[in-house]
Amino acid sequence: MDVVNLARTQFAVTGSLHFLFVVLTLGLAPLVAIMNTRHVLSGDPLKERMTRFWGQIYVINYALGIFTGLVMEFQFGLSWSGLSHYAGDVFGAPLAMETLLAFFLESTFLGLWIFGWHRLPPKLHLACIWLVTLTAYASALFILVANSWLQNPAGAEEVGGRLVLRDFGALLTNPTLVFALPHVLSAGLWTGGFVVIGASAYHLFRRTAEREFFTRSLRMGVVTAFVGSLFTVGFGYAQFGPVGELQPGKFGGAVPGTALATMMGIGQLTQFVVMFVLLPLLARDWLARWRWLHPILMIMTPLPFVAAIAGWLVREVGRQPWLVYGKLTVADALTPGLSKTAITASFAGFVGVLGLLAVVDYALIARAVRRGPGQVALGAPERPADPAPAPVHAF
Amino acid sequence: MEILWLGAFAVLLAGYFALEGFDIGLGVLLPVLGRSQAGRDRLVAAMAPFVLANEVWLVALAGVLFGVFPTLEGEVLSGLYPLVVALLLSWVLRDAGLWFRRRAGGRAWRVLWDGALWLGSAGLALTWGMALAGVALGLPAALGPAGVAAGVAVLLLLALHGWTFAAWRLPGDEVVRGAVRDGRALLLTACAAAVPALAVTAFAASSMLDRTAPDQTLTVLSVMVVPFAPILVGAQLWVWRIFRKGALPSFF
Repeated sequence: MDVVNLARTQFAVTGSLHFLFVVLTLGLAPLVAIMNTRHVLSGDPLKERMTRFWGQIYVINYALGIFTGLVMEFQFGLSWSGLSHYAGDVFGAPLAMETLLAFFLESTFLGLWIFGWHRLPPKLHLACIWLVTLTAYASALFILVANSWLQNPAGAEEVGGRLVLRDFGALLTNPTLVFALPHVLSAGLWTGGFVVIGASAYHLFRRTAEREFFTRSLRMGVVTAFVGSLFTVGFGYAQFGPVGELQPGKFGGAVPGTALATMMGIGQLTQFVVMFVLLPLLARDWLARWRWLHPILMIMTPLPFVAAIAGWLVREVGRQPWLVYGKLTVADALTPGLSKTAITASFAGFVGVLGLLAVVDYALIARAVRRGPGQVALGAPERPADPAPAPVHAF
Repeated sequence: MEILWLGAFAVLLAGYFALEGFDIGLGVLLPVLGRSQAGRDRLVAAMAPFVLANEVWLVALAGVLFGVFPTLEGEVLSGLYPLVVALLLSWVLRDAGLWFRRRAGGRAWRVLWDGALWLGSAGLALTWGMALAGVALGLPAALGPAGVAAGVAVLLLLALHGWTFAAWRLPGDEVVRGAVRDGRALLLTACAAAVPALAVTAFAASSMLDRTAPDQTLTVLSVMVVPFAPILVGAQLWVWRIFRKGALPSFF
C-alpha cells in the first residue's frame, strides 16, 4: 500500500473502532438517564439497581470511545495537514466547538456522575447524567456538522487557494446534515436497545435469580429498539434525496454498493422483527417467558453495530476521491513529506493498541453482563479517606 | 479577538499542566509511593474523580489549536510526528490502566493495569517535555540530549506536583510517609507545573498571532463558545468542591 492508502486505512480503522463504542454510548446514555430519573422519582430499589447495572455497562463502553476519539482528533494534524491548511478556517470551527462545548462538559459531568454517588444530592446527581446525555448529543451534532461539511462544503468560499467561512448557518442547515443527524442518533438508540435485549435474554435464558430485573430491562430494550429502528430507517430513506442531488453516483462503487445493501438488509430485517415480533410479544411478558427465543435475541445483538459501520462505509467510501467534496482530494490533503515508515509505525501502534484494548473492553462488558446486577462497582459504598487501622500487608 | 483566543489557548495549556499534571505525576510515582496494593488503590482513588475533568483540557486545547490556528495545527502535529504518536499511545495506555484496573479480579490483572498506568504516565511526562523542546528547538533537537533532558525535567516537576497532591488529599497517609501539604503548597506546584508550557507559548506567541484563522471564523467561535464559558468553569469548580475531601470514591 502507498502512503495515502495507509493513512486512509488508519483513519478508517480508528474511525470505525471509535463509532462501535460511540454508537452504544449514544444509545445507552439516555436509557441510563431515564432509569436514573425513575429511581429518583419513585425511590424504587429495583430502578436504582437498573441504573447502576446498565450505567456500569455504559461506563465500561465509554472508555474505548475516549481512547479512539483522542487518536482520531490528533490524526487530522498528523496525517492530513493538507486539510487544515486548505480548509481549517471552516472545518476547524465545528471541531473546536465539539471539544469546548460538548466533550469538555460531557467528560466533567460524567466524572461527577461516576464518582458522585452518595456524595451529591440525588437530584443533582441525576442532573449530571442528563447533562452527559445532552452533551453527548451535542457532540454528535458538531461532529456531523464537520463531516457533513466535508460531504457538501456549504457556506464557504475559496479565496487565494484556501477556503474561508462565509456563512456558519449554512453548515448547520446543510442538506447532508439534517437527515443524517437523527439517523445516527436513532441508530444509537437502536443499538442500545439491542444490547439491553441481548443481555437480558442471556439472564432469562440462564434462569438466573434476576428474573424481574431482566424482564423489565427487556421491555425497555424492545421499546427503545422499536423507536430507534423506526426513525433510523425513516431518516435513512430520507437521505436518498439530498445525496442523489449532491453526490450522484455515490453508491456506484463496489464497496459503497455492498455496504449499502448490507446496512439496508440488516436494517429492514431487524426493524420488521422488532415491530412485528418483539413488540407484540411484550404482551403478558411472552417474550421474557418464551425461553427458546432467547438465544436468537442474543445472536441478534451485534447486528446494529455491523449496520452502523456499513453505514459509515457508504458515506465515506462513496465520496472518494474527495476529502472536501469537489474541492480537495484525499491525496492532496495528505501531510507533505509523510514517510511510509512513519505512517506504518503509527498504524501498527494505534491499531494494535486500540484493537487490543477494544477486545479487552468487550470482554469486560461481557463479564459485567454475566455477573449481573448483584456485583456492580458503580455506585458502591465508599471507603473512609483515613488510612484504615487494619494492618496493610506488603507483598 | 486574536489576543482573546491566544489567551484561551494559554489558559487551556496552563490548566492542563496544572491539573492533569498531578494525575500524570502521581501515575509516575505509583510504584514508588504505593508499595502495597491497598496503598496504590488509595493513590488512584485520590486522583480518580479529577482525571476525567483534567485530561479533557488537552482535548479542548487540540480543538482550539484546530479551530483558531488551523495551519499551525497541521504543521506542529505532523512536524513532531513521532513524539505526538508516542504521547497519544502513552495517554491511551495511562487511561486504559485507570479504567480497567478494578474491572476484573486477580492480582496479575491489577499488576498489569497498574503497570500500564505507570508506563503511560511516565511516557506522557517524557514525551510532553520532548514535545515542548521540539516546539522551541525543532524535532531533531527534541530527539537528542536536549529533548531527553527536557523530558526528564518535566517528569520530575510533575512527580513533585503529584506528590504534593497526594500529601494534600491523603494528609498523613503512609503512602506519603505521613507528610501533610496544604492547598497553598498544591497551588504553588500547580503553577510550577504550568511554567514550561507557558514559557514555550510565550516564545511562540508572536508567530501564533500571525497564524490565526480569519476574523469571520473567530467571531463565530466567540459567539458560540463565550456564553458557555461560565458553565465550563463552573463545572470544573464543582468537581473540586465535591471531591476535595471526604471518603475516597472507589470506582477506578
